[in-house]
Amino acid sequence: MNDSKLTNWTSADDTMVERAIRSGATRRELLQLLLAGGVAAAAGGTILGRATSAIAATPVSGGNLKAAGWSSSTADTLDPAKASLSTDYVRCCAFYNRLTYIQADGTPRMELAESIESKDAKVWTIRLRSGVTFHDGKPLTAEDVVFSMKRHLDPAVGSKVAKIAKQMTGFKAVDKLTVEITLENPNGDLPTILGMHHFMIVADGTTDFSKGNGTGPFVREVFEPGVRSVGLKNKNYWKPNLPNIDSFEFFAIGEDNARINALLSGDIHLAANINPRSVRLIDGKEGFFLLKTTGGNYTNLNIRLDLSPGDKSGFVEGMKYLVNREQIQKSALRGLGEIANDQPISPANFYFNPDLKPKAFDPDKARFLFEKAGLLGQSIPIVASDAANSAIDMAMIVQAAGAEIGMKFDVQRVPPDGYWDNYWLKSPVHFGNINARPTPDILFSLLYASDAPWNESQFKSEKFDRMLLEARGSLDQAKRREIYNEMQVMVSEEAGTIVPAYLANVDAVSSKLKGLETNPLGGMMGYSFPEYTWLEA
Amino acid sequence: MTNPALPLIASRLVISAITLLIVSVAVFFATTMLPGDTATILLGQAATPEAVAGLRKAMHLDEPAVLRFLYWAGGLLSGDLGTSYANDMPIADLIAGRFVSSMKLAGITALVSVPLALTLGITAAMLKGSLYDRAVTVLTIGIISVPEFMIATSAVLFFAVYLQWLPAISFANETVTWSDVLRVYAMPVLTLTFGVASQMIRMTRAAVVETLNTPYAEMALLKGASRGRVVLRHALPNAVGPIVNAIALSLSNLVGGVIIVETIFNYPGIAKLMVDAVATRDLPLIQSCAMVFCVGYLILITAADVIAILANPRLR
Amino acid sequence: MTTIETPAAKSRKPAYRTNLVGLVGMAIIAFWAIIALIAPWIIPYPVGEIVDLDYFGPISQQFWIGSDYLGRDMLSRILMGARYTVGISLVAVSISCFCGVVLGMIAAVSGGWLDTLLSRFLDAMNSIPSKLFGLVVVAAVGSSIPVLVLTLAIIYIPGAFRFARALAVNINTMDFITVARTRGEGTLYLITSEILPNIIGPVLADLGLRFVFIVLLLSGLSFLGLGVQPPYADWGALVRENIGGLPFGAPAVIFPSIAIATLTVSVNLLIDNLPQKIRDRSE
Repeated sequence: MNDSKLTNWTSADDTMVERAIRSGATRRELLQLLLAGGVAAAAGGTILGRATSAIAATPVSGGNLKAAGWSSSTADTLDPAKASLSTDYVRCCAFYNRLTYIQADGTPRMELAESIESKDAKVWTIRLRSGVTFHDGKPLTAEDVVFSMKRHLDPAVGSKVAKIAKQMTGFKAVDKLTVEITLENPNGDLPTILGMHHFMIVADGTTDFSKGNGTGPFVREVFEPGVRSVGLKNKNYWKPNLPNIDSFEFFAIGEDNARINALLSGDIHLAANINPRSVRLIDGKEGFFLLKTTGGNYTNLNIRLDLSPGDKSGFVEGMKYLVNREQIQKSALRGLGEIANDQPISPANFYFNPDLKPKAFDPDKARFLFEKAGLLGQSIPIVASDAANSAIDMAMIVQAAGAEIGMKFDVQRVPPDGYWDNYWLKSPVHFGNINARPTPDILFSLLYASDAPWNESQFKSEKFDRMLLEARGSLDQAKRREIYNEMQVMVSEEAGTIVPAYLANVDAVSSKLKGLETNPLGGMMGYSFPEYTWLEA
Repeated sequence: MTNPALPLIASRLVISAITLLIVSVAVFFATTMLPGDTATILLGQAATPEAVAGLRKAMHLDEPAVLRFLYWAGGLLSGDLGTSYANDMPIADLIAGRFVSSMKLAGITALVSVPLALTLGITAAMLKGSLYDRAVTVLTIGIISVPEFMIATSAVLFFAVYLQWLPAISFANETVTWSDVLRVYAMPVLTLTFGVASQMIRMTRAAVVETLNTPYAEMALLKGASRGRVVLRHALPNAVGPIVNAIALSLSNLVGGVIIVETIFNYPGIAKLMVDAVATRDLPLIQSCAMVFCVGYLILITAADVIAILANPRLR
Repeated sequence: MTTIETPAAKSRKPAYRTNLVGLVGMAIIAFWAIIALIAPWIIPYPVGEIVDLDYFGPISQQFWIGSDYLGRDMLSRILMGARYTVGISLVAVSISCFCGVVLGMIAAVSGGWLDTLLSRFLDAMNSIPSKLFGLVVVAAVGSSIPVLVLTLAIIYIPGAFRFARALAVNINTMDFITVARTRGEGTLYLITSEILPNIIGPVLADLGLRFVFIVLLLSGLSFLGLGVQPPYADWGALVRENIGGLPFGAPAVIFPSIAIATLTVSVNLLIDNLPQKIRDRSE
C-alpha cells in the first residue's frame, strides 16, 4: 500500500479540485488544502496539473464516442415516459430535450422553455423557445408540450412518473409558443420537476417511439433494444456549436469486470457505474480518470411498523443502533458513499439538514432495546436481494453485528427477478433501493406521506402530511427549509426506514473524453454526456 | 433397397412435433407460475394498482393467460411468432439477428471443438494409462472445473487489456474481413471450446475404452492386431452411438446461446434474449425462444440417434 | 494413418501405479469430506465477520489465504464452503445419475412406447432453460437445501438418461443379451446383470463430468436465491463474488478455484482408476 491509498484520495476528486479552481482558488491555496488532506506535495502537483489542463482545453469537434452502461434489456425504450434503465436515460437525453435542465448545483436552467413563471405556484406559464425543430423537420409548438405532459396521466402509457404528474390538472396551449399548466395544489418545485428525464418533450401525436423523433442533439441511427443504439449529430440542433462529437454509440455491458476491461483495452471511452472494488484498477492509471457522483440514491433497510417485529416498540430503534454505518461505508461501499441519517434528503440536496447526525453504532444499546422489546434471541428474517445495490453485503454486516449480541438474523437472499413486485414494501424486514429525486417534496410524497404509494415502513403521521402540503405551496425558501428540516428529523426518528449511506456512482473514463462534469441526476453527467463532451483529437 | 433412415426420420418428425407441444405447454405453465407480469415488471417500483391495471389493459394482458397462449400458438402455425409485450416489436425481428449471431458462434465453436475433442479423446483411449492419457484427463477436468466466467475474464485481461491484441468486446456486426472475424471470435470461441471440448473428450475416451473391453475387440487384440488398429477398426465404429450422443448433448448447450460468453464479450446472442424475456415475463418471446432452443436440440439429438442407428448394423 | 504402437499387455495389466493415482484421488476427496464435517470447529474467524479493513487482502500470517471482497477471512469461508459444495454436489450427482441411468437402461431394454415416452419427456425437460426452471422452483416451493439438491438433480437427469440409453441400446443388440432374453430373463435381471456391467465405465465417466457441472451450477442457483444462504457460500459462489479480484490476482478468487479443481479432478481420477474388478463384466 502506498501513501495515496492510505489517504483515500482518488482521482475522482480531481473534479472537486477543478471546481475549486473554477471558483477562483489559487494554486498555493489548493496545494495547502491537499496537504492538509495528507496528499504528498508531488502527488498534489500532478492532481492540479490534470485538473488545470482539463479546464484549459477547448472543445474539439468530431469523433465517434463509445460508451457502455450497465443495464439493458429487450424492454429498452425510446419512450421517455417509460424510461427506467440508465440506458434509456442516456438515449432520451441524446434524442430529446426537456423544458428545463437540472444543473450541477441542483437548480434548474431553462432548456426548451424560455421562461417558466407563476404568481401563486398553482398556475404556471411556460414560454417556449422559438425556432426549435424536431428531427423530422416539424417545428416545436405548445401542442407538443401539452401532449408530452398529458400522456403521463394515461394509465395505458405506463408512465414511471404518473404519480408525480397527477398533480397537473389543467393544460392549455395559450398560443403557439405558450403553455399554461394548472396544478391541483400549489407547488413551487415545478421547474425542477420538469427537468426530470421522464418529462422529455415528444412530438404531438407520437405513438411509435422507436424513431426517437425529438429536438435533441442527436438523431437516431440505430436502436436495437437490449443490444445497442447509435446517434448521429443533429446538424440543425438549436444550441449553437453543440454537440461536439459526430456520433455516439451506447450499449450495456452487464458484467462489472467486462465493462472495466473494455475501457482498459481501449474499446470504449466510458464505463459507467463501476464496482467500488475496481477503483484501484483505474486510480492513478495513466490515460484514465474517475468521475464520482453522489446524487442521493440509497439502499435502505425497511422495517414495517405495522407487522411483527417492527410493531414492538424499541425494535426499530434498536436496529438503527445495530446498523454499523461506518463499516457499511468502508467495507461494503469501499468509501464511495456518504454515511446517512435514516432519511432520504442527501447532502447533495439544497434542503439537507446538516444538524441531524447519524446514529452511532452501539450494539449494547441495541441489545438493551431488543431485550426490552422481548425479541432478544429470536430469529428474525431479513429479506435481501441483488436487486437493491449492496443489500446482501449490508444484510451480512447487520447479521454479523447481531450475532455478537445474541440476535439471530436469518438473511434470505431472494432473486432480483420480481423483487419489487414480491418482497419490496411487503416483507416485515426487507431492503429497498431509492433513486435520487430532485426535490424533498417528491421524496416525501412518494415515500413517507400517509397515502404515499411507496410507504416502505407504513409510517403515518397527520402532522407530517400537513407540513408536506404547507412546504409544497410556499414560495418562501427560508420557510420551506425550516419545515423540511423538521420533517427530516421526524423521518429519521420515527419511520422504520434505515438509510445507512448515500451511494456514490463512479464512472471510469478515458482521458481522451473531455468536458465531463458531475450532475445531481446521476452518473454520466446526469446521463446527458454525449451532448456536452468532446473527444481529444 | 430404400434408405433405412427415411422412415425413421419421418416418425421422429412426428414425435418431435409432439415434443415441441409439450415443451411449449410446460414453458407456458412455468412462466405463468412466476410472480408478476409484464405490466408490473415494466413499471417496477412505479407499479401502483391503477398504473398496473391501465398498462395491462393497454397491453391486452387483462385477457386470460391461456387465451393469450392459444393466440400465440395459433399465430405460430401460420408462421407468425407474435409481438413482444415488452417493446411491441415483432418477435421475428428481435430473434432473427441474434439467432444468426448465436448460430455463427455455435458453428465456429463446433468446427473447432469437435475435431479437437475427437482427436484427443481417441488418442487418449488408444494410449490408455499412459502419461499422455493422464495429462489429457487432468487438463480437461481441470479446465472445465474453472467457472466459464473466470476463463473468459482471464482471457480478456490477458489478450485485450495486457497484450491489447484482441478487442475486449465482440461486435459481430463489425466483421468485414477475415482477420476481423478472427479477432472478434477468437476469445469467445476459445472460452466455449474449453467447456464443450472437455466434455466430448471425456465421453469419447470412455466410450472407446469401454468398447475395447468387448469380446470381439479382445479377440482382435488376441489375434495380434495393434491397439491403435483395434481402436480404429473395431472399437470406434461401435462407440459411434454414445460419442455422437455426447457431441449432440455438448453442442445443444451452444444452441440455446451461451449466457456467460454473451455477457462478458457483449455478444448479442439468443441466450441474453431469453433471459430478458423471462425477466420481463414476455410470454410470446419466451415461448418463441424456447421453441428455437427446442428445435435446435431436437435436430441435434435426432441426428445423433440416426447416426447411431446407421453406424450400428444391428440397430437398423 | 500411423498409429502409435503401444504394447497391448502394458495397459491390460492392472498396474500398481494405476491404483496409486486412484488412491490419491480418494485421499483428496476424503480430506474435503472431513473438512466439511469438522469445519465449524476449525475455522479461525466467524464466516460472516469482517476482520480485515482492506479487501482482496494478500496472503498473510493473520489471513492465511487472504481476505475477500468485504474483508472477510477467505480460509474460513472456503472451509465452511466445503460443507455445501462437497455435500450438496455428491448427493445431487448420485440422485441424478442413478435416476438417469436406471431410466435409460429401462428405456433401452424395453424399447417401444415406453422408450419413446421416456425419451421425449426427458428431451422436453432438457429443452426448458435451467434459469427459468430455477426461478419457477423458487417461486413455487421456496428455498431450502433439499429443494436445491433436487433441483440440481432434476436438471441433470435428462443428460444422464440420454447418454446411458445410447450406451445401453448398443449393448442391447449384442448376442449375449438375446441369449439371456431367450432364457426368459426379466428386465430387472437384464439391466443389473447384463447391461449395467457393460456400460459402467462410460456411465461413471459421465457421472464424473456431471459432478463438475453440478459444482459449478450450484453457485448459479445460489444467486437466484435457491439454496445456500448468506453469510455461507459454496465454492463456486466464492469465485463468483470475488471475481473482481482477478485483475489483482487476489487469492480470494484463486483459492476457491483451486479448491474446486482439486475436488473435481480427484473425483474423476478416482473414477478412471477404480480397481478393474468393479469394471469387469459379470460373465
